Amino acid sequence: MRRKQTAIGAALAALAVLCAMFATSASAAPAWKFEGKSLEGSEVVLGGAIDSLLTVPGLTTKCENFLYKLTVKNEAGTGKGEVTEVPLYNCTTNSSACTVQSIKAEALPWASKLTTVSTTPYIIIEGVKVPILYEGEECVLGGILVTVTGSAGGSINNTTETATFNSTTLTATGTSLKALGQKIEWNGLFPTEAFQWHREQALSVS
Amino acid sequence: MQANRTRAVATALLAVALAALGLAGTAQAKLVGNYTKFVQCPYANLEVKKCIYSVTESGEVVLGAKKVPIEKPVVLQGGFGAATEEKEEALFAKFYEASNGITLSKAPQSVPGGLLGIIPEASQPALVKALIKFFFENSLTGVNSTLELAKPASEIRVSENNLAGEIGTAMQMPVKVHLENPFLGKNCFVGSSSNPITWKLSTGTTKPPAPNTPITGSAGEIEFLEEGRILLAKNNKLVDNAWSAPKAAGCGGILSFLVDPIINAQLGTTTAGHNTAILKGTLNVASAAAVRKNNSENP
Repeated sequence: MRRKQTAIGAALAALAVLCAMFATSASAAPAWKFEGKSLEGSEVVLGGAIDSLLTVPGLTTKCENFLYKLTVKNEAGTGKGEVTEVPLYNCTTNSSACTVQSIKAEALPWASKLTTVSTTPYIIIEGVKVPILYEGEECVLGGILVTVTGSAGGSINNTTETATFNSTTLTATGTSLKALGQKIEWNGLFPTEAFQWHREQALSVS
Repeated sequence: MQANRTRAVATALLAVALAALGLAGTAQAKLVGNYTKFVQCPYANLEVKKCIYSVTESGEVVLGAKKVPIEKPVVLQGGFGAATEEKEEALFAKFYEASNGITLSKAPQSVPGGLLGIIPEASQPALVKALIKFFFENSLTGVNSTLELAKPASEIRVSENNLAGEIGTAMQMPVKVHLENPFLGKNCFVGSSSNPITWKLSTGTTKPPAPNTPITGSAGEIEFLEEGRILLAKNNKLVDNAWSAPKAAGCGGILSFLVDPIINAQLGTTTAGHNTAILKGTLNVASAAAVRKNNSENP
């Protein structure tokens, strides 16, 4: 009788451990939610960067119009998506010698997925490719095609409904962007707002 | 009267001297700050779009069985034009010789093992043995290897996109290796203007034939100076291990018919896949227009 009680106790303990494990993995793979409910089907998130700077030591490139179109969905409870459009306009540098002749997002769509690092939800954009052609007679990069490639992880703030990309968020997610053969800095603050079926609904990730 | 004439002559001489100084000042470059490195760039030539000053501080050149470490700095300087020549799916720019004519500095690198390393004593013809003995007795056993351009600097090609993108050929250079020792004479070379060694240096990954395996270069740690007018790449690494080299020739003066085969036997196979060039250093590139401006702003 005593042995049976011990066996039941062990089974319950094992179940508790399993439940805890599942809970952990669920939190590691957050989902897109609108008004607190998990997204069913897909939704389009559209917006423009409030601020976005791309920096190689000594030269920073800024785009006044850094728009994006992101299609999101949940697959097996995990938030995924694709960046399908990234129009970039009015891009300038902090250099009096260099101007941006052309800049264009390539290799679209860029796959995206949600993840959690230390309780903070993140969105990871993969397969980023942005060639930038600089010009300017005195610009040392004049005529050189500088291609930004890699992946980038940004933290999601459910309160402000924004995604922030910077060196801290890239490091936290183990992602990096490269250009000219080295890691470059990308600082960006992007609003996350639905523009299709869930317009004006609170968007969150958890 | 005499005093007046003397004063007039002295004034005239002073005027000539001042004028000469003035002309000398005009002819000299007046680059300042970060631009001083580009003093030998032919920036007055409007076809020159970029100035380059590259210092190879370390690395190695493997020629067949012989490896020569780079211990003395080698400077490559000059300018290059617009990238207009298309080959190997990239655009290349023509190089312009340094103003002082020294596009590639001659830095003799010590060959490990010296004379004995390239001409071992055993089984040599008696005459060669006797001569080597003489050089050993007189402590003339050191051998230097100096890299030289095999063709005019205008034959060098640069692809900035490949250099920055770490792919393909960043710089193509026709070179020859000068082996120097009194015994070897003044004309002991591997490579020549008619049959140069062609390095296709890359900051990316090479695709050499066997037995060599791919090696990877690097654009280095890039920083922009003077608001994007100068690019500084520290720890830049240019590599090529797919090049072939002709046989050594002209070694030993009138005994070259005896000495050349000995050296070539020591070098071993120098066909593609048996040689390597690894050049590590600091690369400085500037817009030629910015260098011109710096020059004009500092009379």
